[in-house]
Amino acid sequence: MSFNNSYNVPAWWQRILSVWYRHERVYNSDFLSNAFPPFLEPLIMLWGLGIGFGAYIQTMGTMNYLLFLASGIIMTSSMYTAAFECTYGTFIRLEYDYVYDGMLGAPISTHDLIIGEVLFAGTKGAFFALAVLIVTWLFGIITYPWSPGAVLVGFICGIMFGTLSMWITSFTHNINHFNFYFTGILSPMFFFSGAVFPLENLPGALQWIAQAIPLTHVVTLARACCVPGQFKLQLLYNLLYCIIFILITGRLALRGIKKRMID
Amino acid sequence: MSDIAIEIKSLNKSYGKLKAVDDLNFAVNPAECFGLLGPNGAGKTTTMKILYGKCEPDAQPKPHIGIFGYTPQRDALTIKSFSGIVPQQDNLDAELNVYDNLYIYSRFYGLPATEAQKRIAELLDFMELQEKAKVKIRELSGGMKRRLTIARALINQPRLLILDEPTTGLDPQVRHLIWNKLRELKENGVTVLLTTHYMEEAFQICDRIIIMDQGKKMLEGAPRELMKAHLESYVIEIHGISGENHAAKMVADHPSIRCEIYEDTLFAYSNTQEPLSRFAESLALSDYHIRQANLEDLFLNVTGRSLNELQ
Repeated sequence: MSFNNSYNVPAWWQRILSVWYRHERVYNSDFLSNAFPPFLEPLIMLWGLGIGFGAYIQTMGTMNYLLFLASGIIMTSSMYTAAFECTYGTFIRLEYDYVYDGMLGAPISTHDLIIGEVLFAGTKGAFFALAVLIVTWLFGIITYPWSPGAVLVGFICGIMFGTLSMWITSFTHNINHFNFYFTGILSPMFFFSGAVFPLENLPGALQWIAQAIPLTHVVTLARACCVPGQFKLQLLYNLLYCIIFILITGRLALRGIKKRMID
Repeated sequence: MSDIAIEIKSLNKSYGKLKAVDDLNFAVNPAECFGLLGPNGAGKTTTMKILYGKCEPDAQPKPHIGIFGYTPQRDALTIKSFSGIVPQQDNLDAELNVYDNLYIYSRFYGLPATEAQKRIAELLDFMELQEKAKVKIRELSGGMKRRLTIARALINQPRLLILDEPTTGLDPQVRHLIWNKLRELKENGVTVLLTTHYMEEAFQICDRIIIMDQGKKMLEGAPRELMKAHLESYVIEIHGISGENHAAKMVADHPSIRCEIYEDTLFAYSNTQEPLSRFAESLALSDYHIRQANLEDLFLNVTGRSLNELQ
């Protein structure tokens, strides 16, 4: 053992990728129990809601109800996985396991750490979206050739809820307080994003709320990939919303987590 | 790179009204083992964290911090690229096994995979963990975790090793193993900075130490020289005396003895054994034990014998 004389700080993208790689290794070290639920969940949703509601509702708005539901829950699945990763997951790494403290002993900055983690949330978002898509493809519910594009939207959705959740985590000091976030914020989003029923006939105020919440915009984008005839210029506005949302919550997360990590 | 490994001047750190580090100055030479000693709350860990950018020092008065010529406020990543850090609390990745902990960490330094595999094998060997490569972290004993944390800090072959209480809570065998490894690293030119409150540890491996209390530097020097300069060679402890006891008065008859009383114990110090045994006999003690004064006596002398609120 002796020291060498060539020390390098890896480039920023290498540092971020190395953080991402850590999360990937942990996730895949228990691949079976991690890879199974993303497929099972949409199966249960489509089965339960599809059979239950499907018996009464054949069409939702302009499309088949199952298609409507399937193209909606791609994003709710991405949202929940990213939100879990960057609340409970982040909190445990931060406060219980001190994984972040360990990383900060290596040439990794708090920014690398947060960006790497958010990118992993995006990756999980994409993977969960793909899992739902595979199920819907197998059952012949979604057949539109552009539907693989929803995987990319899943990535964007994962990033959005990754940055939002990390920001929430940066000021949460008791792990049980995440209940407020999940029941108070994410559950309403699930219903008022147009994922399970259309927004067109909601009363005025709820319409505004629906347009303000992030999930609505990714649901619109994902549905445009999965259902024929939904591509329109307005989607650019949805995309712009996502970008601005990521920039704002991302900045808040960077600031909040850094403040918490550096004494 | 600079000729001085670590140079700290007018370092201050406050948490609200609490002054964790108070105008600290010291310098560490390359390939030296330097120890920061002090009771809990003395500011040792805070000082360490400042060195690698985990903690920001007070901006005013402006501190000077040089780690081989680099400043943590500006070059934290560079400093960490040539340093190894062993924190007080093991922060191994509980979700990965021993090998993967080292491998993932090697990625943070951008080590190529083949190089990393080679070093991991060497390090597992060095820290005597070869058998444990595939074992989960939670199945390791405290001593193994500590050795793995040190191995992890060595993955980049650092020129500076920073260890915060490396052997606290470990059994004697593991402590000696770690001391041997640290000596070996030092001989190979690695600069070692450590905190400890084990006096023996400082005596065993530190070339120089500073004793800190309440954020301030109290003493600085080589352990043996500090002992010689600040404390008599021998001590006798007499327990169970009360404040008004005649023992205290009797000391006056023995001019070559210096004494201290703390609660119900009297500490009598002298440079030779003889006056101490005469003193003990004059008290008609049937059973007494004269021992060599050690760094612990010096430490307690400097930092006080009563507990502070952080202990």
